[in-house]
This record gives sequence, structure tokens and C-alpha cells, in this order.
Amino acid sequence: MLIASQILGLIAPQWILLVAAMLVLALDLTLGEEREGWLPYIALLGLGAALVASLSLWNRQVALFEGLFLIDRFAVFFQIIAVLATGLVILASIGYFEGKTPYKGQFYALLLVTALAITLLASAADLVMVFISIEVLSVTSYTLTGYLIADRKSTEAGLKFFLYGAAASAIMLYGMTLLYGATGSTNLAEIGRTLSLASGEGSRWLPIAAIVMLLVGFGFKVSAAPFHQWAPDVYEGAPTPFAAFLSVGSKAAGFAILLRVFLTALPDFRVDWFALVTTLSIATMTLGNLIAIFQENIKRMLAYSSIAQAGYILIGLACWDPQATGRESISAILFYLLAYLFTNLGAFTVVIAVERAVGTNEISDYAGLIRRNPWLAAALFVFFLSLVGIPPTGVFVGKLLIFAAAVRLEYYALVIVALINGVISLYYYYGVLRRVFFLAPRDEAPIAVSTPLRVVLAVTLIMTLGTAIFAQPFIRLALTSAVL
Amino acid sequence: MREALFNLTWLIPLFPLLAFALIILWTHPSRKWSTWVAWIGIGLAWLLGWTMFFLSWGDIHHLTPPEGNHPVPLWALPTGGSVLKIGFQIDTLTALMLFMVPFVCLMIFVYSKGYMGYGTEHPDPRYSRFFAYISLFACGMLGLVVSDNLLTLFIFWEIMGLCSYLLIGFWYDKSYPDPNRITPRQAGLKAFLTTRVGDVIMLIGLLLLYSQVGSLSFKDVFSQETLHMLAEQELWMPIFGTAPVATVIAILIFGGAVGKSAQFPLHVWLPDAMEGPTPVSALIHAATMVSAGVYLVARCFPLFMAVPLDHGGVQLAVVAFIGAFTALAASTIALAQNDVKRVLAYSTISQLGYMIAALGIGAYVAAVFHLITHAFFKALLFLGSGSVIHGVEHGHHKIAHGHHDHEEGHFDPNDMMNMGGLMNKMPRTAWTFIIGGGALAGIVPLAGFWSKDEILAHAWHEFQHTQHFGTFWPLFVWLLLTVAAALTAFYTARQICLTFLGEPRTEAARHAHESPPSMTWPLMILAFFAVILGLFGTPWANQYHELVGEAFAATPFDPFVAGLSTVLAVGGAVCGWLVYGRAPLRAGQVDPLKRWLGPVHGVLENKYYVDELYRLIVIRPVLRLAELCAKFDYDWVINRLVNTIGQLSIRTAERLGGLDLAVVDGTVNLVGRAARGLSTLSNTVDLKGVDGAVNGIGHVVKAGGRQMRTLQSGWVQDYLLLAVTMAIILLGFMLLVLPILR
Repeated sequence: MLIASQILGLIAPQWILLVAAMLVLALDLTLGEEREGWLPYIALLGLGAALVASLSLWNRQVALFEGLFLIDRFAVFFQIIAVLATGLVILASIGYFEGKTPYKGQFYALLLVTALAITLLASAADLVMVFISIEVLSVTSYTLTGYLIADRKSTEAGLKFFLYGAAASAIMLYGMTLLYGATGSTNLAEIGRTLSLASGEGSRWLPIAAIVMLLVGFGFKVSAAPFHQWAPDVYEGAPTPFAAFLSVGSKAAGFAILLRVFLTALPDFRVDWFALVTTLSIATMTLGNLIAIFQENIKRMLAYSSIAQAGYILIGLACWDPQATGRESISAILFYLLAYLFTNLGAFTVVIAVERAVGTNEISDYAGLIRRNPWLAAALFVFFLSLVGIPPTGVFVGKLLIFAAAVRLEYYALVIVALINGVISLYYYYGVLRRVFFLAPRDEAPIAVSTPLRVVLAVTLIMTLGTAIFAQPFIRLALTSAVL
Repeated sequence: MREALFNLTWLIPLFPLLAFALIILWTHPSRKWSTWVAWIGIGLAWLLGWTMFFLSWGDIHHLTPPEGNHPVPLWALPTGGSVLKIGFQIDTLTALMLFMVPFVCLMIFVYSKGYMGYGTEHPDPRYSRFFAYISLFACGMLGLVVSDNLLTLFIFWEIMGLCSYLLIGFWYDKSYPDPNRITPRQAGLKAFLTTRVGDVIMLIGLLLLYSQVGSLSFKDVFSQETLHMLAEQELWMPIFGTAPVATVIAILIFGGAVGKSAQFPLHVWLPDAMEGPTPVSALIHAATMVSAGVYLVARCFPLFMAVPLDHGGVQLAVVAFIGAFTALAASTIALAQNDVKRVLAYSTISQLGYMIAALGIGAYVAAVFHLITHAFFKALLFLGSGSVIHGVEHGHHKIAHGHHDHEEGHFDPNDMMNMGGLMNKMPRTAWTFIIGGGALAGIVPLAGFWSKDEILAHAWHEFQHTQHFGTFWPLFVWLLLTVAAALTAFYTARQICLTFLGEPRTEAARHAHESPPSMTWPLMILAFFAVILGLFGTPWANQYHELVGEAFAATPFDPFVAGLSTVLAVGGAVCGWLVYGRAPLRAGQVDPLKRWLGPVHGVLENKYYVDELYRLIVIRPVLRLAELCAKFDYDWVINRLVNTIGQLSIRTAERLGGLDLAVVDGTVNLVGRAARGLSTLSNTVDLKGVDGAVNGIGHVVKAGGRQMRTLQSGWVQDYLLLAVTMAIILLGFMLLVLPILR
């Protein structure tokens, strides 16, 4: 039996985030205009404390609260991801809201709650917990998307996000009830046991129906086709830092719970969901890459790009085979998510920098960026290189690992489809880079980049390259975290 | 062959359900397609339903117990520890319901096309939605009658409750200048909440039953051993003392029937339900849904029969009393109503009371018989009244076009005082209506006569010959129902006279014209059935008895009862004609009944003030309580507690605000400078080589991408539609295609 103080220690990242969020909220009310600028740093302090607490939990393997809440390396890995994503996004958003909205502090508080939701989700070991943490994540996301209430695009995006999310959640919840109905338990491990005992008997259709419905909810979170349509509209309308967060933090959370539920509760149905996940994977990457070509808004383009990335990551799940590639494919996904986090946040940071100088997000405004700010141009080049999957960048290694798992299982077709998609994606990334490097700018004025943005750019750039050049430690991290 | 066909029972409710889904998801932009989809859905259900009915009619013994209940187990859901079995069944009662329900539904579906203004200049703006809702409703009713257990029965029961709410409030944006008149929105809510009271009571009954038996399937619950067990066991309750469990369960289940079949004291919703479109009134509030309550009692009849009166089994006495009382009270209210649909609404309540009372005295066959005949002639009457309203409304529109300020705003096309003399304008409607009215009044040899007579004869017979129910009840029931029969004939005659005879009392009625064929054809078909259906149930060759009444003794023909009820029916009708027909009312003339009845008329017109009573003893106290709770929440919790905490935290925060953050600033700046230095390292990269290679692929994929982009319309409805459609396709693929591929 654990005593209260031990439990408090084990959920330290969570309550630290909660306290930090409350603190930011309270300070926002009291600090006053001139000291408002402190808020993001206070939030960062909270995140730092949460990170330390998370790291101290490494190598723990405990189930808390009657099995609702599980602490293992997998969960801790996603706690780290959540803290990193949130921290970088907070840095990137400093100064962003200047002149856009009078309310600034709440953004950080809500973002901390979002991080909290992701850590809860990563530890969820029970359908009830899964649902509640997904909803916490969703509700804060809707709010943050519609954060710029004076901006009609933002509020519209928030509302769309909310409506779509509510419907997806409803379907997912239905799937959960079916799963509960089939097994009589909401505990993921217990469900897995019941189903494996009952496998071979006639009624497989109930869990299969549940799988499809769960995939609607999880697919919505990771923006996998055909449940992706909210993403471009939401990314376009949301405050850009939060769009960045959605593309990495929220997506990572979606994959965390997808892996947790499918691999803990439904491993015996692999033969069934394999087909489903493969289909979704192919559809997602192809659709995302094809439509991205036509985007004129960089945020929409990145939205489709992030949809396509979800497709690649899904290959990892499709290639999960308990005998052959079990841990390998999970670790490939984890590595991919980590590398993608830095790469995509970096790309979005460039977008934020340009947006703050130019005021819009049109791709045509990127013309001649190299002459206005060569650093931005160079950074964008590296990030796009990584997104396409060209060495020496992090996402390249991630793709390599995922393809390796696919090749191990001899799913060559999947690899070929993914490679073709990589080539297609070159086209639209190059379309932006062509403007950046070869076209003449409409406006010659140099683009200034604020200090916090520079920090983010530096960190993401280093990590994008670092995860490739010094890949070994990260791969090892992913491998040790791949325990389910 | 027959076996295989009976195994398809589950398809019957599925067809309308599919129609509902198709319309809601896809065809709703097209009125034409939506109409056809709904028609095909119900049409297939009708074909299958009638096939089943005639098959079982041809060979009744095949379906009668014990081997009778033809169960079709559909799903066995493993639910952790236990297994939930859900299935469908056909027995003779179900077969008989399958004769009535899908056919009447089909007639009303056809009729709705014209009524909702298909092809006219002003079709209803929510035309397709209407067809979707009534399809879902048909699914509910058909599912209810083919269920083989009380759980699915209850689920379908609730689906109908939902549809009823949606359809009564279908014109939710309508409001009236008179603030006291109930709007469709309010009426829908009222129906939903009122029936909810009954449904909760019923659910408690089902839970009690399940806790005692451990199953809700008819086969388990109504087996001899179970019934015996339920009759033997006693249950202690506060206030009521001990009673047999079977009695308690039966009365609780009857609570559901009281709500659904609009019996006193939960009848108040049905008259207001007339705010919905008229086909809905016909479909739900006359022919099908309200008879579900009667069906429920008939279905659970073994349970109601389990304990005799002298062993404390008061359940049938309760049923008989409520039914008979409702029958009489509602028929008196109907005398004083001027709204053409409200007269029919009270008449429906009254006729349902007949059926309930019949069940209460053990006249099972007669009740089912009356259920069937009533469904046909009441659907006919409602559709007829809809046709009249339609005609008068059009007449009103025609003259309103001429002079705009005329009568606009306070013209009520439902008010019979605004009609008169429509016989010549709308001959088909008029004649079919008169046939329906005759059937309702119980004129020989129309359908209503035979079924009503059988109920009365059974009551009289029980009174004379058996002591089983106690001597008093059958006589009481007989007396009340006989008086109600006379009143029924009177108000029917009044209605016909006011509507069709004499001279038009308004301009609108003068300009009324016959409805389109899609409306009059269903009327004529239903009229045909209203004439012939009773002939299958004559006391000399009662097909209904052969079909569903195997277990019961036939009711003998009683010349005294038949003679008396004929005299009363004809007498009532003649009285009605003498008052309203011989000297038709002129425009502005006061209803003579008002003069004669004096203050009593006011009481009847106001429905015995039951609504007012409920407002006083239920609605107002609840609102008060809610206000009190809100006050508590706001004044005490928010104003005191939350504000105190808030101020406390603000003060604390102010203290903390002084903390110096220079340390943070310094660190961040340092990192920033480091980054700037680092980014100087990665400089310009040449990209010219990539150019050519990429352009080649680009042209190929561009075409595909452009196509797909059109899906991204910006409407979240479209996104959701696509998501749900894809989810359904994936489900279908996983559940249907993949097993085959393997």
C-alpha cells in the first residue's frame, strides 16, 4: 500500500502543472499590465519543475487509484514530450498576442492545463480515465483555438473544432461502452485479458465495432484521414503558437493513447485492426500530401503536412507485431514523435516570426525571405528537409526506423507508398523554399526576430539536427520507453 | 419457407430505420428522393408485415402457444459475466399488429406528401426532416411489436417517445398571438415530460421484474412457473402494505401504458399534441403510438391475470376503473370542443379508455379487436380532418391574397366554427369522414360497432355470469362505457354537422377546395377498411378470436346489449343531427349546447381544469423549488464562498507579485545570444538541383489533389457527414466484408 505522500510524489508532474496553471491564472488577475510579461516565465518555471518531477519517475512502474492511473516509462516519455512542447510553444508565443487580444495570461494557464491533460492521458489505464483526459485536452484545445475572440477566424475555428470534437468523442464513447459491454470491465489490461480468453469464440464483432469507433476518436486527435478535416480550418484560425502545439503536443497525445489502448486492451484483435490502421495510414498520408500542394496559406499547408506525417506514424502501428517487431515499432513511433516535435515546432516558429513581421500567412509573402532574414530562411530549409525526410535530420531517422519495422514484416507495399508520398511532399515544401530563396521579395525590409523566438529556433534547430547526428541516445531512450 | 420468412422478422423495423438514416444523412436536400426513400422503407415493411400476417392467419395453430411464439434470436451479447439475449418474435398478437401498423403507416406516409405541400409553391421548409422523423417513428412502433422481450420493447417505446416529441414540436418556430394558447414547442415538451412520468414508473416495474426473474424476455417472464412464483411472493411497501409481487409489477407496467395511451391522470398531453402536423396526429396520436400502451397491457396480460382479485390482485380492477373513467370523462370533454382535431383527440382518449377497460374486465380479444378497428377509422378521421384543415387554409390563403388586411393573424383553420358546408366543396373528404364517424359512433355494420359491442357484451356477460372480478366492476364498466357510447355518437354527429353541413360560416370555408389525390386516396382506402374490418369480428364468426383468443372463452352474442348500444348510437347521432344538422349554425351563432349546459359547459370546455390543477400542484411548486435552488447557488455559494476565496487569492498573489524575476530574464537572454551565435553556422544552401526533379512529379499529382480539395468546403456539417459516413463504411467493411475476405 502506498501512503499519501508517496502517491503525491508519484503524481508530482500532474499537480505541479495544476498548481502552476492556477498560479498563472491568479497572477494574471493581480499582476497588472506592466508586469504581465512575467507570466510566461512563471509558466516555464512550472514546466521546469514538472520536468524534473517527471524525470525522477523514470524506471518506476506503478499503478495508482485502483488501476486508473499507470506510471511507466511510456507515460514518462509522453510527460517529457508534453512539457517540451508546451515549453517551446510558450516561448514562441511571447509577444504574439500583442495587439491581438487584451487577455494574455490565461493563454499560458490554459496551455499548462493542456499539458496536464496530456500527462494524464499518457498515464490513463482505464477507459474512464482515457475519456476524461481526452475531454480535458479537447475542451482546453477548443478554448485556446478560439482564444482571439475579436478575430472571427479564430472563433469560427474554435466552434468548428468543438462541434467536430464533440461528435468524434461521442462516437468514441460509444465504442468504449461497447468494449465495456463486451468485457464487463473498463480497465485496459483487464479488457485485454478477457478478450484474449474469449478469443476464438464466435462474437468478435462487438470488439471490432468498438475498435472502429475508438479509431474515430483517436483518429480525430491525431488528425488521421478521414477524420482530419477539422485540422486545416483549425490550424488556420487558431493563434499560430497554439496551432503549433496542436500539431505536435495534441497529436503525440493522440498517438500515446492510441498505442496504449490498442496494444494493452486489443492486442488479440491485431489481425482485425491491422487492416484498418493500414488503410487509414495510406489514406492519411496520400490525402494530406496531395491536398497540401494547393495551399496558399502556410498554416493550412503545414496542417496538411502534419496530417500526412500522422499517416507515416500510423505505419508504425500497422507494423506492430508482438513476436517480430513489438518494441521496435513502438520505439520507432516514439522516436518519430520526438523528432517531429522539434522539427514541426521549428517550422511553426518561423511562421510565427514571419507572421509577426508581415501580418499574414500567405505563402507568397515568403518570397525573398533569405534577403529579409537569412537565419529564418536557413532554419526553414532545415525544418522542411526534416519534414520531407532527408538526412541529416531527425524525422529522417524516425522514418528510417518505421520503415525498418515495415521491412522486417515484409510490408514492402506500405514502404513504397510512403516513399512515393515523400517525393510528393517534396513538391510543396520546395514550393515554399523556392519562394524563400529564389524569388524577389515584395518588401525589402529585414524581418526582426524577438529573443524568445530565437531561443525556440535555436533549440528546435539543434534538436532537429541533433536527433539525427547523435541519434543513438535518442533511439535508446525511445527503446527503453517502449514498454507497454 | 415459412420458417425462413419468419426469421426475417427483424427486417421489418430495419427498413424504416434505414430510410431514416438515408434521409438524414444523404437525401435531405431533395424532397423527391426523401419522399421516395421513406415510402420505400415503409412499403417494404408493409409487404413483409402483411406476408407474415397472412401466413400466420392461414395457419394459426402454427403460431399459437406453446410452440407458437416464434422467436428469432438475433444477438447474444456477452456482457462480462452474463449474456444479454436480444431477439424478435412473431406470435398471433404480433401478427395482428403487423397487419395494422405498417399499413396505416403507409397510408399516412402517402398522405403526408400532399399535406406537407410537395410540389406546391410553399412546401414545408423542413419537408425532408418530416419524412425522416416519421420513418424513425415507424421503426420504433414496428420494433416494439416484434420485440421478444421487455427491454427492447422499452427501447423502441422510448424511440417513439422521442419521435413524438420531435414531431409534435415540428413547427417549433410557430407562435400564436394568444399567449395562453400552447405553442408546438411547448406541446412537444409537455408530451415528452408527461409520458416520461409513466415511463419512469414502467421502468421501475421492469427493474423490479428483472430483479425477481433475472430476465425480461416474454418467454421467461410469462412462463407458468415464473407467474406462479410472482403471484406467491409478497412485497411490502410503505403506505400500501403487502401485495403480491405480480400485482405490484403489473400496476407499475400499467403506469407506462397510462402515459403512452393517454389515460387519466396522464392524458393531458394528447390534446395538446394536436399542435403537430396532422399526419403526425393521425399516425402517432391516434393509430399507432397511443395504442402501444394497450398493446403493452395485452402483451403482459398473463402477468395481469396472475393473481385473482380475491388474493389481493387489484391490478385488473385498477386497469378497468382507469379505462372506464377515462372513456367517459374524455367523451364528455369532447362535447364542448370546437377545434376539429381536439374533438378527435378526446375521442381517441375515450376510445383508448374503452380498450383499457376491456382489458381490465378480461375482454382480451375485444380489446385487441377494438385496437385494430379503431386504428383504421381514427387514422381515417384524423387524415380527414387534416384534409379539411388543408382545404380551409388554402381557402383562407386565396382570399388573403385578395385583401391583405382581412382576418390575418386571428384566423384559426382548425376551428369548426369557421367551417360549415364543406360537403359540396370537398365531397371525397366529407364522405370518407362520415364513414369514419359512423364507425366511431358504432353504427351497424361499420367496424366500430362490432368491436365496441363486443366489449360491452363482455362486460355485461361478466356481470351476469361470473364472480371472478367481483360483481361490481363489470357492471360499473358497462354502465360507464354505455353512456360514453351514446356521447360518442352525439359529438361525432355534432362534428360532422358543424364541418360539412349547412352553409359556410366564413369566407375561407367558402373558398375551400378538395385536397390532392395523394391525400384523398389514403382516405378512401382507409374508409374501405373502416367498413369491412368489423365484419371479420362478428359474434358469429369472430376471426379475431380465432387468431388471438385461443386461451379465452368467446363472448356470446347478447341481443340486449347489441340492441341497446345500437339504439344509443343511433339515438346519439340523431340527437346530434337534431341539434346541429336540422338547423345548421349560422356564422356567429352560439353553440346551443352552451346554452343548455350552462356552467357545466365551461367546465367541459376547460377539460375539468386538470391542466390548471397540475399547474397548481406540480408545476408551480417545482418552479419555486428551482428558484430557491438557484438563489442558494447564486447568493450563497457564488456571492459569498467563491468571492471570498477569490479575494483571498488576489491578496496572496499581490504579495507574491513582488518576487524578483531578474534571474529568469538573465538566463533567457543568455540562451538567446547563444542561439544567435549558433545559427550563423548554418548558412545558405544551394537548392537548384532539386528544381527539375520535383516539377516532373508535380504535374501528375496536382490533378488528384485538386479533386480532393473540393471536399474541404469549410462547413463543419459536411466534415461531420463525411466522418460519420466513413465510420459507417469502415464499420461495414470490418464487420461484413472482412469476414468474407477471410
